[in-house]
Amino acid sequence: MTSEQHRGSETGPVRDLSYGLLGIQLENPFILAAGPSTDDIDMVRRAFSMGWAGAVLKTTSVEGTSVDLAYPMMSAFNHDGKLLFGMGNIDLISAHHVDRVESTVRTLKKEFPGKFVAASIMAGKKEDWQSLVERLENAGADLIECSFSCPQGNIGEDPGKMLAQSVAATELTARWVKEAARRIPVSIKITPHVTDIVDVARAVQKSGADALTASNSVQALMGVDVYTFVPNPPLGGRSTYSGLTGPAIKPLTLRTIAEIARNVSIPILGTGGASSWRDAVEFMSVGARCVQFCTLVMHHGFRVIDDLRSGLSNYMDDMGFSSPLDIVGKALPHIAVHDQLPRRRVRSVIDESRCIGCEVCYVACRDGGHGAIDRRESRIPVVDPERCVGCGLCPHVCPEACIALEGVD
Amino acid sequence: MLREGRTPPDKTAPDVFDSRRSLVEAERCLYCFDAPCTSACPVHIDIPGFIAMIRSGNVRGAAWLVRSANALADTCGRVCPSEVYCQPACARAKQDAPVRIRELHLFATRSERRREFHVETASRTGKNVAVVGGGPAGLGCAFELAKLGHTVDLYNDGPPGGVPLKSIPPFRLPEEDLLHDTGILGRFFTAHDGTLDGLEFSSIAGSHDAVFVALGLGRDRPLGIPGEDLESVFPVLPFLETAKKRPHTLRIGSRVIVVGGGNVSLDAAATARRLGAAEVTLLYRRGERQMLVWSAELGEARRLGVEFRFLAVPLEILGTGRVEGVRCRSMRLSADSDDSGRPVPAEVPGSDFLLPADSVIVAIGQDVRAGWLTGLTRTKKGYIRVDGQFQTSMPGVFAGGDSASGEGTVVRSLADGKEAAHAMHGYIMRRG
Repeated sequence: MTSEQHRGSETGPVRDLSYGLLGIQLENPFILAAGPSTDDIDMVRRAFSMGWAGAVLKTTSVEGTSVDLAYPMMSAFNHDGKLLFGMGNIDLISAHHVDRVESTVRTLKKEFPGKFVAASIMAGKKEDWQSLVERLENAGADLIECSFSCPQGNIGEDPGKMLAQSVAATELTARWVKEAARRIPVSIKITPHVTDIVDVARAVQKSGADALTASNSVQALMGVDVYTFVPNPPLGGRSTYSGLTGPAIKPLTLRTIAEIARNVSIPILGTGGASSWRDAVEFMSVGARCVQFCTLVMHHGFRVIDDLRSGLSNYMDDMGFSSPLDIVGKALPHIAVHDQLPRRRVRSVIDESRCIGCEVCYVACRDGGHGAIDRRESRIPVVDPERCVGCGLCPHVCPEACIALEGVD
Repeated sequence: MLREGRTPPDKTAPDVFDSRRSLVEAERCLYCFDAPCTSACPVHIDIPGFIAMIRSGNVRGAAWLVRSANALADTCGRVCPSEVYCQPACARAKQDAPVRIRELHLFATRSERRREFHVETASRTGKNVAVVGGGPAGLGCAFELAKLGHTVDLYNDGPPGGVPLKSIPPFRLPEEDLLHDTGILGRFFTAHDGTLDGLEFSSIAGSHDAVFVALGLGRDRPLGIPGEDLESVFPVLPFLETAKKRPHTLRIGSRVIVVGGGNVSLDAAATARRLGAAEVTLLYRRGERQMLVWSAELGEARRLGVEFRFLAVPLEILGTGRVEGVRCRSMRLSADSDDSGRPVPAEVPGSDFLLPADSVIVAIGQDVRAGWLTGLTRTKKGYIRVDGQFQTSMPGVFAGGDSASGEGTVVRSLADGKEAAHAMHGYIMRRG
């Protein structure tokens, strides 16, 4: 027996986390994003049985679409001992025939009627988009997600460019999809790689699509082997740009979601870099209505759902929230443009009782701040209130978190 | 029971980290500014600097940083005591546990073992300096003087290496590590092999711009009790030296008594156990708390099954030809303290007892051996008297290491040599 099979109530009590979204009842806000973990029915079965509320199946397309995979497809951006701080992939859509994806939807909905099963699609021509929507809707999918943003280029008129990089093409294509979906909602998955994300989001809203999935991986070059000069991942002396995911892109996604939420009203399905219940809360606080996970699961497995559910449940208890929807948008009123920010004088204060004398704050302030921290014989540094402007660098370099910013009257 | 040929690993020795383990450990370093570990290191290795290099994958840079500061880099990676110097100073200890600096140091230098070591030397000064003694202090000094641009002659009886070569047991210091260090250092001086006398020393002093004397100790203090001339009574230095070079010629029997309460006596006790002695008893005139030892080494001796008889002194070694036993007397700690601040032991009358033994190893301290060094003023304890600049009573003659300050660690002697080199450099350049 594996420890996974021993899980019972080991996460402690988890409160009811269910709520409605786009007319669908979700058990909790945690959904598997379209990717390797949702390409196989047994994997999704296991995830559902472990507590995931839903899954967006790996993207499919029409019969005859070539899926010419190249291996290896994964690469890592490791930082300071943190493995997979960022993950890169050059994966493509599902290699399975659309018939199989259709049957997966049908089977999953039969076996797990309470779970959210979405299908992700990608196509070029209008009739292909529409036939995919019809087939998967008829199979029982709860939602259609449309990938307008695969970083490996699109099947379509303009190869190498993502559909969602064109505002006009986004609106037109989204309209086709929405037309075809008679009973179920449609979400358009967009890329952060645009000049103005608001223009794209507005185009989606104008098309009549029901939701936005924000956002896809970030096109990236994952690193270069400095001895062979072949970038990662290496494939026989060549490489290409990857889609970057994982913790490294979380701040980019947060900004993307926030910017969309501040400007359009249709729901946002958050995805891209969330690695914990806390990240999920952050995503929801800037406007996401649920949070999709992929890289976290690829790294640590479906078991992470235990902490996601328990962490959110405990957090909601602490905050007195009754539904995850209570979190949605809570951070938005606090986001302003720079010239609207209050001008308040702050300065750093070191808690001497907790300082361990590493003096990292001293050197950071000397060489990257305002030279406002002085050394002492005791190695416990002291802030000069005259020179400290309150830039806020030193609290972030302190390994003991014993520097705080305090207001100056 | 410990048998010959089945030598257990020494628990005081550093673990040998692989690159993965080193990376994980290196990531624990906080990269302190003006780091306490570097201040605590006698040769002031830039510890956060070399650890950051391990972290970035620049192990070659890390090894260079260590070796350019520490002439016996591999040796110190093995024998530097982890409980003094850098590790207790580590700020990380205040969070959880100190960074294992010694292991990272050893990883860095050992990883780069096959690579040539180059160090930038200052432009030639045209000055000739003599270093008398090829132990850690002499080698540390010669290396530093060469880096400062001087031409160095090193005088030593036999191959350089000093105490680490002669008497640090191989289970604490694999010979290859020392030989790798001395092999590198050989490029920085001209070695002259042979014993010296007073006349030769004067001639050397006359033909060089300055002289550094680092002869070490080398003469075991005798117990001064009857029976000390019996065949199986061993002064500790020749004992350890023979145990390293020709262990099969040592006949110590199965019951060994080691007299003394320092790290050298612990080395002797551990060596005796490894040579196959069934019972090894360490006799010390004061208590455990008064021992001048690293606790890790004491723990290791205990692990090896060494017995301790504290508060006891030998009065007479009994036997005909070979040792048969030792008559001892119990001691108590008196209220008076000596120079070291430790209580003076006093004999307990009528407390004599007999310990059966096949051999006795005497490890109660050492004195400066070189009898010909008559021109230099000595301290009360017989060490060479120097001022804060390592200057002896004879102008132009400097001294450091054990012969000037008594028994110390390898790294302390290296640091003496290194600091003395800078003092000598100042002296030579001032004279023009």
